[in-house]
Amino acid sequence: MSPDPIERAAARVSRPLGACLLALLVVFAFLVVQAPEDRSQGVIQKIFYVHVPTVLGAYLGFFVTALAGALYLWRDEERWDRLAASAAEVGVVFCTLVLLVGPIWAKGTWGRWWTWDLRLTLTLLLWFVYVAYLLLRSFTEGGPRTARFASVYGMAGLVVIPLNYFALELAGGRSMHPENLEGGSFGEGMGLPFAVGMLVALVAFAWLLALRVRIAGLRARVEEGELLAGETAAPARGGAGS
Amino acid sequence: MSAVLAILWKDLVSEWRSRDRIVAMLLFSLLVVVVFHFALPVRPGGGPPEGLPGLLWVAYVFAAILGLNRAFAVELENEALSGLALVPCDRGFVFLGKATASFLLILLAQLATALAFALAFDAPLGRVAGPLAGIAALGAAGLASVGTLFAAIAVRTRYREVMLPLLLLPLLVPLLLGAVRATAELLASGRVPSDAIQLLLVTDAVFLIVSFVGFEYVLDE
Repeated sequence: MSPDPIERAAARVSRPLGACLLALLVVFAFLVVQAPEDRSQGVIQKIFYVHVPTVLGAYLGFFVTALAGALYLWRDEERWDRLAASAAEVGVVFCTLVLLVGPIWAKGTWGRWWTWDLRLTLTLLLWFVYVAYLLLRSFTEGGPRTARFASVYGMAGLVVIPLNYFALELAGGRSMHPENLEGGSFGEGMGLPFAVGMLVALVAFAWLLALRVRIAGLRARVEEGELLAGETAAPARGGAGS
Repeated sequence: MSAVLAILWKDLVSEWRSRDRIVAMLLFSLLVVVVFHFALPVRPGGGPPEGLPGLLWVAYVFAAILGLNRAFAVELENEALSGLALVPCDRGFVFLGKATASFLLILLAQLATALAFALAFDAPLGRVAGPLAGIAALGAAGLASVGTLFAAIAVRTRYREVMLPLLLLPLLVPLLLGAVRATAELLASGRVPSDAIQLLLVTDAVFLIVSFVGFEYVLDE
């Protein structure tokens, strides 16, 4: 078994993506420092440039998980399952960050760490679903059975998002959380750092996913005993730490 | 269709002969009532505790999980699960048979729980018995459908009793929200709110479709 196309692509793009991310992070940090301070919230509002883009990574992760799960069930090819598992892990990382960064901002501006607001609750539920997804994977013995179970659960998790949205709105979405950005709430000088922040999140997501997919592929081949000792093992170890 | 009825019949007969699922669920419901009695603050004037609809649904859901866990655990004996996978029809119909059996058991447990609540907490459930049964049935349908799908998954994992609630509870939020809201409104004003019922209906439909289709992939040959 040679590396499948997804793993080959991941191996090829991971290094350029990493370099790109490093450069973008420098630009991003500079732009956030330069961005004007919010008149009412002060400097803490700058957490916004991290908070909102992280949400993008979380949703991307869960969307890719469900999509790759569907492709696995359809085509019965293991590589789709490896992509789904990788995306779920990366998505959980981003979602955890959202749930850590959000309360810091909330404590600073609303005066409390947590409220049972529509968006907060929705994100928390999403986190629970995908942590359960990862648990399910690790509690099943592996192979096609794990892949099938996880695919079904990952897709069910995505299907429930709109239902949750509807349900929580019905429950009276007492919303402290700001509504969408379309309201033109951007002040002058906020657009560029935000756009770069979104780009950073996108590149960071792609980079982590590429690393994770590569590890999954290498691991699968090690388990099949086809990878010779020493061959391309070093980058995998480097990636596992990130 | 005959496969659905055959599996339903098999589940009901084996349940009737052993009665272990229903006894466990009923006993659990009664225990929950006792636990709630001690956990809730004493109400000097008597009368039902605050948040009764929520408590009722918590009891329903946990009793249902107890029963659902056993629904597939019994199939592990003598490799009966492989037999189910070999039923010569769409596996969705196997799902319908198993889910209908669980649905009926959950309904029975709900009835017993509601009776226990009415007696123990002086809850005025008798006045609204009809609509309440309807709401309970809508909730039970959703519980039985995704519950059956995930029970079939959980039974093949390590720590299967733990896995089912972990898989099930995060997805049950729309169902619980709709059911608790409908029950609360019913108890408060005697009317059934249409928005909550719509939510329950949509959730049931989505859960049924997802489980019917997904069940194809959760049984092993």
